[in-house]
Amino acid sequence: MTSPTPSAASPRVRPTQVEHRSVGGLAQIRANAHWYLFIAPAVILLLAFMGFPLYRSLELSLFEWKGLLPRHWIGLENFERLFRDKYFWRALGHTIVFAVSATAGTVGLGLLLAIAISRHVPFHRFYRFAFYLPVMLPMTVVAALWARIYEPNYGLLNTALKSIGLGVLAQPWLGSLDLSLPAIIVVCIWQYAGFPMIVLLAAIEGIPEDLHHAATLDGAGELQRMRYLVVPMIWPVLVSISVVQVIFSLKVFDLVWVMTKGGPAESSAVLGTYLYRKAFEQQEYGYASAVAVSMFAVIFTVTYVYYRLTKIDAVEF
Amino acid sequence: MASARPSSAGFRLTGRLVVTGLLLLWVVVQVYPIVFLFFTSLKSDPQILSTPFAFPFPPQFGNYEAVMDGNRTNQSIGIYFINSVIVTGGTLVLLLGVSSLAGYALARGRFPGSAATQQLFLLALAVPVHVLLVPIYFFFGEMGLRNNLVGLILLYATLGLPFTTILMRSYFVSFPRELEEAARIDGCSRFGVFWRVVLPVSRGAMASMAIINIGWVWSELFFGLVLLDKVTARTLPLAVAAYKPSSMATQTSVGELFAIMSLTVLPLIVFYFVFQKQIRKGMTAGAVK
Repeated sequence: MTSPTPSAASPRVRPTQVEHRSVGGLAQIRANAHWYLFIAPAVILLLAFMGFPLYRSLELSLFEWKGLLPRHWIGLENFERLFRDKYFWRALGHTIVFAVSATAGTVGLGLLLAIAISRHVPFHRFYRFAFYLPVMLPMTVVAALWARIYEPNYGLLNTALKSIGLGVLAQPWLGSLDLSLPAIIVVCIWQYAGFPMIVLLAAIEGIPEDLHHAATLDGAGELQRMRYLVVPMIWPVLVSISVVQVIFSLKVFDLVWVMTKGGPAESSAVLGTYLYRKAFEQQEYGYASAVAVSMFAVIFTVTYVYYRLTKIDAVEF
Repeated sequence: MASARPSSAGFRLTGRLVVTGLLLLWVVVQVYPIVFLFFTSLKSDPQILSTPFAFPFPPQFGNYEAVMDGNRTNQSIGIYFINSVIVTGGTLVLLLGVSSLAGYALARGRFPGSAATQQLFLLALAVPVHVLLVPIYFFFGEMGLRNNLVGLILLYATLGLPFTTILMRSYFVSFPRELEEAARIDGCSRFGVFWRVVLPVSRGAMASMAIINIGWVWSELFFGLVLLDKVTARTLPLAVAAYKPSSMATQTSVGELFAIMSLTVLPLIVFYFVFQKQIRKGMTAGAVK
């Protein structure tokens, strides 16, 4: 499936369609009626369940609206309020901290693991299997499982610490103002380090074996070979996977929601949970939409620029 | 050079041993919590609290029986499971059908608006789902699609569409034309060619698309949380999220939660055991290029 394709020639060359001379717009459209039927279901779904809600979200962000009460048009007031809302800024800060540390953790660890198990070391198949396993699990289950591991009285982590005589290190992990966010980030890294690992492993294995041999013959040690051969060769993939991980973790919701709901005292609130609470716990739909729109502006820009730069639509496989 | 050999070989051997040790340690870190999950689901509550690390011997299936009866929550977990299967199956069928049609048209057709449609998919790919949550909640309320699995299927299929269509298009761009042209000469319509010639040989690509999407659909929580407030319409991730972690040690049954979590995870783990190569390949192709 991933093999390079022989017919990768430019899709613009369409010799078979020369018959359809361009006589006029309408004739063109009629001659291509079948293609419109092909794309119609997809376009209808996208407009109904994505385009329309997106428009409504932008619209709602300009209203004050608390559930059943009538809506008031208040222009940009929601955004002004957002600007002064310290909980919003805190949630934004947590989201950025989460995204940066989770990306550094998953990609960093993923790179180390990929290097360690590349070039067919013994048991490499087993490692690959084991390290990717957590990626397959639903985030909700991972979150609920780790909430149990972090549980202060009977949780696995504190029990283990006490049994090896390190009881002083036992903490109310998720119940602590300082530790709740780091504890969640650790879970994210635990679950997703395997993902960059698999991607980077594929890149490392794409480096011709001759180059490794040449480097070794030139007297390069393991570390030098990594530093001067492997990392430069996979650099573009490393950058790509980092951006993918940043985009992915800016959207974090499940992990935080199930483990702490953003608490205690908003100490682990991220934009996703903040938006959810504003809308569905405090019924401030207009204000929540302003949160959603700001989130949209940031994530959409980063993602779109990235996709344009990497030309994801030109991917061949 | 010759004199440096033995010491560097010795250094290399210790290095390798250290690396292997660290790797095995990491295997334990990654796999043990999952083993712990299944072990705990096979213990009674007193056992869970007193001997958390012990092997569940003899295994107790009481937790599974309890969640199947659903006496405590008034709802058998079987319903959640069936809902999850329906939503995941329905979403995959709709998503694969719609995205392969669109991907094919974008790969082969040069019609007024084809470039714009391609742009539309790229734009849609960058939209974070959070911005859709509030409007979708009200829109689904007006349409009677809340607590409705069909509504959820339509929504999930839409969320998966941009990515899947773009990948299907790349696949069809590299698909050899010769077969299709022969069928065209034999008088097949465009759709006939697609249905009888292209689709049957694209099963591999379709399977990859299913593999890429099955995990997130099975696990989806964000929209499920607001759209499914009736117990009868809920999916498995909601059953897991419904347990309050704070009160676990005192009120609710921990063992039952672990049974529900195991039932949620098990299908994906079996799926991973069977298709591990294809899964890792598909995810790699989908992630970066």
